[in-house]
Amino acid sequence: MKTITRSLAAGIVGVALASTPALATHKTHPVTGEVLSDNQTYTYVSIDESSSLDPGLIEDVSGAAVARDLFEGLLTQNADGTLAPGVATRYTTNADKTVYTFHLRRNARWSNGDPVTAHDFEFAWKRAVSPELASPYSWYMEIMSIKNGAAVINGEKDKDELGAKALDDYTFQVTLEASLPYFPSMVVHTTTMPVPTKIVNAFGDEWTKPGNMVSNGAYVLSEHVLNERQSRVRNDLYWNNDATILDKVTTVIIQDENAAFNRYIAGEVDQTAPPSGQFNALKKSMPNDVHTNPRLCTYYYNFNMDAAPFDDKRVRQALSYTIPRDIIIDNILQGGQIPAYTFTPGATANFTVPEVAFGMMTQAERDAAAVKLLAEAGYSKSNPLKATILYNTSEGHKNIAIATSQMWKQKLGVEITLENQEWKTFLATKGAGDFEIARAGWCGDYNEASTFLDLVNSESGYNDSNYNNPVVDKLLAEAKTMSDPNGNYTQIEKIIADDMPIAPIYHYTGNMLLKPYVKGYPFNNVEGNWYSRNMYITAH
Amino acid sequence: MLVDNKKVQELADNMAAEELTGRSLLQDARHRFFKNKMAVVSLMILVSIIIFAFVGPYFAKWSYEEIDWATMGNVAEMGRPSIESGHFFGTDDLGRDLYSRVIQGTQISLTVGFVGSLIAVFVGTLYGATAGYLGGTVDNIMMRTVDILMAIPYMFFLILLLVMFGRSISLIFVGIGLISWLDMSRIVRGQTLSLKNKEFIEAAVASGVAPFNIIRRHIVPNVMGIVVVYATLLVPGMIMTESFISFLGLGVQEPQTSWGALISSGAGRLQYGTYWQLFFPLFFFIATLLSFFFIGDGLRDALDPKDR
Amino acid sequence: MLNFIIRRLGLAIPSLLILIIISFVLMHSAPGGPFTSEKPLPPIVLANIEAKYGLDKPLPIQIANYVWGIVTDFDFGPSFRYKDRTVNDIIEVGFPVTIKYGFWSFLFAVTVGVFLGVVAALRHNTWADYTAVGIAIGGSVLPNFVMAPLLVLLFTVKLGWLPGGGWEGGQIQFLILPVIALSTSYLAGIARITRSSMLEVLHSNFIRTAKAKGLPSSYIIWRHALKPAMLPMLSYLGPAFVGMVTGSMIIDQYFSTGGIGLHFVNGALNRDYSTIMGITILVGTLTIVFNMLVDIMYAWIDPKIRY
Repeated sequence: MKTITRSLAAGIVGVALASTPALATHKTHPVTGEVLSDNQTYTYVSIDESSSLDPGLIEDVSGAAVARDLFEGLLTQNADGTLAPGVATRYTTNADKTVYTFHLRRNARWSNGDPVTAHDFEFAWKRAVSPELASPYSWYMEIMSIKNGAAVINGEKDKDELGAKALDDYTFQVTLEASLPYFPSMVVHTTTMPVPTKIVNAFGDEWTKPGNMVSNGAYVLSEHVLNERQSRVRNDLYWNNDATILDKVTTVIIQDENAAFNRYIAGEVDQTAPPSGQFNALKKSMPNDVHTNPRLCTYYYNFNMDAAPFDDKRVRQALSYTIPRDIIIDNILQGGQIPAYTFTPGATANFTVPEVAFGMMTQAERDAAAVKLLAEAGYSKSNPLKATILYNTSEGHKNIAIATSQMWKQKLGVEITLENQEWKTFLATKGAGDFEIARAGWCGDYNEASTFLDLVNSESGYNDSNYNNPVVDKLLAEAKTMSDPNGNYTQIEKIIADDMPIAPIYHYTGNMLLKPYVKGYPFNNVEGNWYSRNMYITAH
Repeated sequence: MLVDNKKVQELADNMAAEELTGRSLLQDARHRFFKNKMAVVSLMILVSIIIFAFVGPYFAKWSYEEIDWATMGNVAEMGRPSIESGHFFGTDDLGRDLYSRVIQGTQISLTVGFVGSLIAVFVGTLYGATAGYLGGTVDNIMMRTVDILMAIPYMFFLILLLVMFGRSISLIFVGIGLISWLDMSRIVRGQTLSLKNKEFIEAAVASGVAPFNIIRRHIVPNVMGIVVVYATLLVPGMIMTESFISFLGLGVQEPQTSWGALISSGAGRLQYGTYWQLFFPLFFFIATLLSFFFIGDGLRDALDPKDR
Repeated sequence: MLNFIIRRLGLAIPSLLILIIISFVLMHSAPGGPFTSEKPLPPIVLANIEAKYGLDKPLPIQIANYVWGIVTDFDFGPSFRYKDRTVNDIIEVGFPVTIKYGFWSFLFAVTVGVFLGVVAALRHNTWADYTAVGIAIGGSVLPNFVMAPLLVLLFTVKLGWLPGGGWEGGQIQFLILPVIALSTSYLAGIARITRSSMLEVLHSNFIRTAKAKGLPSSYIIWRHALKPAMLPMLSYLGPAFVGMVTGSMIIDQYFSTGGIGLHFVNGALNRDYSTIMGITILVGTLTIVFNMLVDIMYAWIDPKIRY
């Protein structure tokens, strides 16, 4: 068996070496030499309380951000999103890329002093797929193609049969069902982070409470008041603690975006989202605070292909063509989002956006084509197409739905009813297939096109349109093991652009207001994975 | 705004104590109501707002759902109130005409207020009159039930109801109406108890009129005065409740709107320089609430036999 | 009086039972459950987790178990959304917050409201009266979700005096804006009622007699007028209390105070059955107890009422 060894860039270590004792009363940054503030506290806004801080259970973006501070997985990311060593210093793989072996560092410790071992990873991974935990993100382990992963999740096999094993205290081996070249990029995700075996067994569900929780990341949880705030402070036992600059990081929960903005202006928080519709104005009034960067996310509408009128390709095409993508981006979102004609964002690693036919047309051409298509499908002024857009309650979704429906009305004479529902109701309605057009958004879980295109697989649990095209399924299956799957991805995107099971609207950008004295935020990370340990506050 | 039950109760007591003299009482009350300046001015304001809600759309250049694409995205500058652009009240955040939307909101909010009160009045009057007229054990059970229901925090229920069954305007009517009939039923019952022993009721009983017909034909018309006063005072409360629900994001479906929805989005975005988004809906909201408030007071004073 | 209290308590129990049953049935008939997620859980996993929380049993048994848990252990069950918290945890943390700003709002509304009302009545038809009436009318029609952003704009953004939200243990600077925003409309209501009943009392015969006897007017007000004038206000306090508890949903949402108001709204949205039940029962009990206290005070102050 030929083994490929790959050494990983170690940007953080460089920072650690350069750290020198500061001469003046004010410390300076070891690399850039900027004068640091004495108060290294970073406070940022989150819209919602996360349902859990347990890496195995986390399902939301803001919870994942907290977990990246508290826990360290096998690998982590540099500021630009490239892989960096985490608890694993290196990994090896066999020739057909079905067995990955991770070699763990010996100086990694839990915050109670226990060493972080391969057994903690084995425990965490088996726990994440176990039906007892019933993690809403167990499916992630399934798409990682870990051997027996799907079977364990569905309760067909015992969790001990999962292809994840600690060979010894510092060697962790994963066996896959099939070759997966991008597997290492998947172990950055929170679901794959270790959990402290002893603590989890001792406290059960309550192990994530402050006081109980023991973690291995750069920070430890110090305070967690539901729906108000959650703080984490420097972990002195973290192996690279010397390089950490921020002493305390606080998440405050503010549900009202305008209230959050007020508190940002008043200097109570260091980061928040720009309130909807204000991005252009803010770019003028506070240019140093406004940031935007591409993200691996797509906003789209699902058409319910099971029932008329959306079982007709021409209807789907007509509606997709006339979505006012540019208006939505320029006037509603205003954050430099990218109009989407393909499902996969161009920012995805190794992915070239294919030239799909309707993406090449001008809006006028698209409108003309749409009018024709809808007429061919048998709809006219006297027999107008009627449909309902279903979206979950949110200012942004509402505005996009309003703009889209008004444009459809003007251009095509389509009569649209808007229906917003609370998240849970929305999920239930959508899950029951009880919708015509439903709003959706998808963010890549790892940086590879399959994290998007898997959704149009007829087997996917997220395939809400109920799109079923054997050709696409076959192309997807092939792509999994190809060293360069881009050809397949291009073909799939072209098929989707014609079949139009979904209408892509825009690719997200990460927009935020960040105080100019907060440095080190990884704006170039398209997955939006930021680590507090790389950030710092300059004197201000 | 909460209804000042004590005052209504006092009025009820005074009315019950008085012999009913039919038409002259009403004429007298009308005369006294129109002598109350605040009440008359309020009535005029209220009537103009109602007329505005119906006639206003004929002057609108934009419909309440239409987007002014040119304005969208730069509302703080382009969306100001102006005669030339046809946006008399400016535009909302998406470039929709606020004039038309305020009219739409007025229609919805007034409807919620009126229909909600009607439901409360209908259920409360029937329930109270029935309990009071039948008396005895039935009365006891019915009124204990009211006591029990009184103790329930209704807003919590209403929220559960809206979250669980989705937002619909009819659910809001029913939900809000059903919250408010309890006090009504108590007042009506008290009135009925005192009416029951009056001669004309006894005469009706003696001539064999069925209990339900007595309630319908003799009791209900005689408690109408107090009911109307109470209903007038209820309407602003209903409108307030609807606005609260709208703030929580559980109000009517877009593109429809209500005062509550308009005000809460306008209030939140005041710091962005779009003051008109708060000013116009709030103006109509406050004018209406105050009008109802003074009209209710005026009616109460006018009907109170003690003050004559 | 004892008899009266016992009878009121007797009513409280069926009230609470109805409350529990209706909310239980409402919740469970809603679309989606606590474990509805974007990607449906495999059936076996769902069955597993529903069994863990007892959701697989028939509804009446679930209700019975739930009530039994409360009665025997004062246990409101685990939160379905926050796996590491029980509902008792959530209430233990959130309730003191609500009580704290609620209490101060109540106190503020009553003291300032009564003060304004009395001043207005004593200085009837002077500028003081008009100011007080103006405040009362303005305050009663401005919803607290308008008050909150206005206050923050003024005191946080413009003047920089007070934080625009947060709680941090409830230090005074975090308390002021929520208290004002929550109490304004009730303050206005109390002022209005106090004013009108005070006017009525001042024009009544016994006050005239007292004046005729040549008693000093401050003595008359404190000794004779205030107590009867407070009666109508007392009956307003019950609904005002409920209104403030309800208003906490807005306060928690706008000021991120972390009280039970937001927990309730979020609980409903997340189908966190046990949290919704816990808070509904808590608020229901409080409402009942509070109304009872008001009635008792009423009976105590008003010699005419005999229960």
